[in-house]
Parts: sequence; structure tokens; C-alpha cells
Amino acid sequence: MTVGARPARRGLTRSGREGRLGWLMVLPYVLGMLLLVTGPLIAVLGISLTQWSLLDSPRWVGARNYLRLANDPAFVRSAGVTAVFTLGILAVNISAALALASLMNTRLRGIGIFRTLVFSPVVMPVVAWALVWKFLLQPQGPVNAGLQNLGMADSNVLFNPSTALWTVIVIEVIKAVGLNAVIFLSALQGVPPELHEAARLDGATPWQAFRRITLPLISPTFFLVFIITLIGALKVFTPIFVLTGGGPADSTTTLILYMFKQGFQFFEFGYASAVAAVLFVLVLALTLAQWSLRKRLVFYED
Amino acid sequence: MRTEVLAVKPVRSARGGWHWALYLLLVLVSLPFFLPLLWLFVSAFKSSGAIFGSPFQFGAGGLRWTNFEQVFRDYPFARQYLNSVYIAALSVPITVGLAAVAGYAFARIRFPGRNAVFLLSLLAMMVPSELTAVPQFVLFSRLGLVNTHVPVILLQIFSATGAFTVFLMRQHFITLPRELEDAGRVDGLNSPGVFWYIMLPLSRPALATAAIFAVLNSWNDYFNPLIYLSRETLLTLPLALGRFTDPLGGVYWNLTLAASVLVALPVLLAFLLAQRQFIESLAASGTKG
Repeated sequence: MTVGARPARRGLTRSGREGRLGWLMVLPYVLGMLLLVTGPLIAVLGISLTQWSLLDSPRWVGARNYLRLANDPAFVRSAGVTAVFTLGILAVNISAALALASLMNTRLRGIGIFRTLVFSPVVMPVVAWALVWKFLLQPQGPVNAGLQNLGMADSNVLFNPSTALWTVIVIEVIKAVGLNAVIFLSALQGVPPELHEAARLDGATPWQAFRRITLPLISPTFFLVFIITLIGALKVFTPIFVLTGGGPADSTTTLILYMFKQGFQFFEFGYASAVAAVLFVLVLALTLAQWSLRKRLVFYED
Repeated sequence: MRTEVLAVKPVRSARGGWHWALYLLLVLVSLPFFLPLLWLFVSAFKSSGAIFGSPFQFGAGGLRWTNFEQVFRDYPFARQYLNSVYIAALSVPITVGLAAVAGYAFARIRFPGRNAVFLLSLLAMMVPSELTAVPQFVLFSRLGLVNTHVPVILLQIFSATGAFTVFLMRQHFITLPRELEDAGRVDGLNSPGVFWYIMLPLSRPALATAAIFAVLNSWNDYFNPLIYLSRETLLTLPLALGRFTDPLGGVYWNLTLAASVLVALPVLLAFLLAQRQFIESLAASGTKG
């Protein structure tokens, strides 16, 4: 079926009509975005310069919230928690993803089942996944019982301030690593097998072949996964909130959780916005670094 | 980036013993991914007394459906399930529809200010949506929309999920050959006609990718419901899963896990039926940002 071209409206050139049409098409989304994202983003920066609780009206305090941040041990602590959480996720997720991708890349009968199993936590609803683990890690639960059977002391890893953060990291990596693994897998499958064959004939060990052939060839993917996992880790809220609520003793309170507590438990809107602004600058810097570095790496892609 | 991971043809490895060692390794490695799910599904059928016992002991009464009955009988879980379903059913088509239209314009129509506006939508995609929660909350509470589903739905459509969907659709439309449009124009189609009769029918896989992504995000959304919804009958599933507790906060694990099964099952089944689409959709969210 075709629609007849309407005669050009008077006074508008073809590119003028195109321009109007373009705006018309993006307008519904863009209006909503400006109102609900871009506007609030600017507003956060403004609110961060005020003192504002739920009930009173905002009072201008200049940079005082930021000065308070610098001297707030709880904020400094949560920045540290965020750093450990982010770097921990990065290290564990990426090395596990590479290992899993190499396993998935073996040409075994039934390897698809393995891929399905490793990927299924990725589609598992976030809260359900966190709750299952919270159940498994209860003091009377199976993980603790298993650890004790192995001769370890009663170690409630999720409820102990010195182990809770790493426990959350591991749970989050098991949930998400399948995604990075299949991304690595498709990169690994782009490595020509002849190169490995040649290296083997030249007497290279598997590790040397991986280090000198595979890794350089998948480096654009590696970099991409690295940055996306890094930024993704900074955004993690729900699993931590469900598993520990930031505890015990604030040992899993990352910056996002700290912002949420200040904003929606203590209703310190100004202070919470200052925390948000710090995170915003951090994410923005990482994103810009990603884009500029990617432009240089685009060379390698395809 | 296309993920052709499902295209591997398995061939029998000829290396005998290695073969079995590798299978053993694969089984061991898959345990942490698989066991929690198995444990969840088994425990959902247990009484609260037997729940911390061995996974294969069901205790008195054996395998039981009473947890599922109780979840629906004693809690507004049916209502909460309906909330999640209708919010997804409403927000996903709008998200994908707006994104397809906007994505096409960003990809193919030149208009003044296009790059600036597109940059803003990239920003909306990258910034964690939690960061804008305070001003959004102020806005919605001024409008009297706290404890309604309106903020939850609107933020699905226009916040990070929506922005990413726009980006996904734009990247897709850029890859479609321009000759198709020219052919359509020669046949007398105007721009909306080209979009509707030529580009959109060619975009079903991309639309499916975007829709899967949007459904999962809507089904999982926790932060916004946490902020805007407190009345029990308004809750969506991710929040509802945390409400099977005694007045002191002690968790009824048998009910919590039974309810978790009901939340996870449709997603896991859909994944098993459409693995390729799911993996492609989620991998796209990983690699295209």
C-alpha cells in the first residue's frame, strides 16, 4: 500500500519540512526526558547548595553541604566501600567472565546447556536472586552449615562487617558474569583459529597463546566490558539494599545507598543532592573517558 | 555487535580422558549459577519447619502447594502481581513506540538541534537514574502523585530505560540501507510513510530486543516503587517479595521463596523459549552503551 505524496505546503522548503518532522518525531520522548531527567539533573546541582528537609522550604547554604561531605566520616567510609565494591566487582567479574568464555568456547557436545546455566542468573529477577541468597546465607542456612561441616568456624558471612561486602560482591558477580562471558565469547569466536594453530606449532604454551594472541585481539571488547562493568558497579543499588540494607555497621553502604538514606530516610534533600552531584561527576568523567578512549580504539573494531 | 554465540556447532572432541575431565569441570563451575535456582524452586514447596533442612527432605506432608495458596490467600499478592503486569503492559509499548519514532528521527532525519538533543538523551542513558530521585520526588509529590503508579510508569518510559531504548533504535536505523528509503520515495511515500511501511517492518528484531530489555527493567524496577509506593495494594512484585514477614521483621522464608518462584518463573520460561533474543538483547545493553 502506498500513500500519495502530499503537495508541498507553501512557504516551507523540503528541508524545512524535514526539520519540522524530525522535531515532531522526537518531541514526545524529548519533552518527557527534559522534564524527568535533564531538568532534575540540573535541579540536583541547585538543591545541593541548599538545606532542605521534607517539611520546610529550601534555604541557600552555598557550598556548605560539600564542606560537610569532606568532613563526614560516614560519607568518606561509603566512598571507600564504593571503591572496594567497584574494584572487587571489576576484578572478580572480568577474570571469571574470561574463564567462563574460554570454557564456553570449547567445542563440546552439550556446551549450550552450560551456557544456558551460566546465563540464567542474568535474567533472574534481581530481588528474587538477592532473596534466595539471603535465605541460603541465613545463620541456620545451608551455606553456613556447609562451611561448618568443612571445619570453619560459625561464619555468618553476610552478617559480619568484615565479610559482608565481599559476600555481596560474589553474589552480584554470579548474577551478572554470564552477560560479560557471552560478550567475551563472541569476541573469542572472532579470533582466527589458524593463529592458535601456528602458535602451537611454534611451541607456545596455552598461556602464552592467550597472552600474546587472544588478549590483544579481544582488547577492544575487553576495554568495553571493563568500562561498562565499572560504571555498572557504581549504579548497583537493589541487590545491596535487599541483601544487607547497607549493614552490618554500614559496611556495605555504597555512595548510592548513602544518598538514598540521606534523601529518603533522613529527608535531608540538600545533603543527599550533594552526594548525588559527586556521583554524577564521577560517572560523567568515566563516561567521557570511555567515549574518548573508544574513539581511539574504534580502529581495532570489526 | 551481533552475538552469534548460539551458532557454534558442537563437534565430538577426540581427546578421550580430557573430554571427561572437562565435563566434570563444567559441572562444578555451573553449580554456583544453578544451585541457588534449584534450591529456590525446591524450597518453595517446603513447610517453614523443613525449609532449612536438606534440599531433598520435604518434612511432614512432603511436597506441598500450601505456600502458594497462602501467598494468595493471606496477602494482596494477586493484586501486586496484577500491578506489575499492567505497569509492564502499559509502559513497555509506550517506551518502545516512542523510542522507535525518536530513534528513527535521530538516525535519518536532519533537523536543527538534533545533535544537542541526542547528546542529552545519551546523558539520560548514562547517568544512574537514582541520582535524580530527589527533584523527581519533589515534583511528583507537589503534583500529588505519590502513592500512585504514575511516577513509576513515567520514569520507566523517560528515564534510563527509555533513553537506552531510543539509543538502541537509533543505532538500528542507522544500519538500514538508505536505498530502501529512496525506493520508497520513488514509489511516492513521504517520510512518515517510509518510516511506517518500510523501516518499521524491517525492524522487528530490533523492536523485540528493545521490548525484552524494557520488560525486564520494568519487572525488576525496585528503586522508584520503593520511593513512591507504600500502600500494600499498590506495591509491585519486587517490593512485595519483601513483605512476607512477621510484625518484628522475621522473614517467612517458605512464603518469600514461593512468591519469588512466581515472580521468576515467567521470566525464566521466556528465557528458555527465546534464548537467542534474550542474550542478544542483554548483550546489546552491555556493548552498545
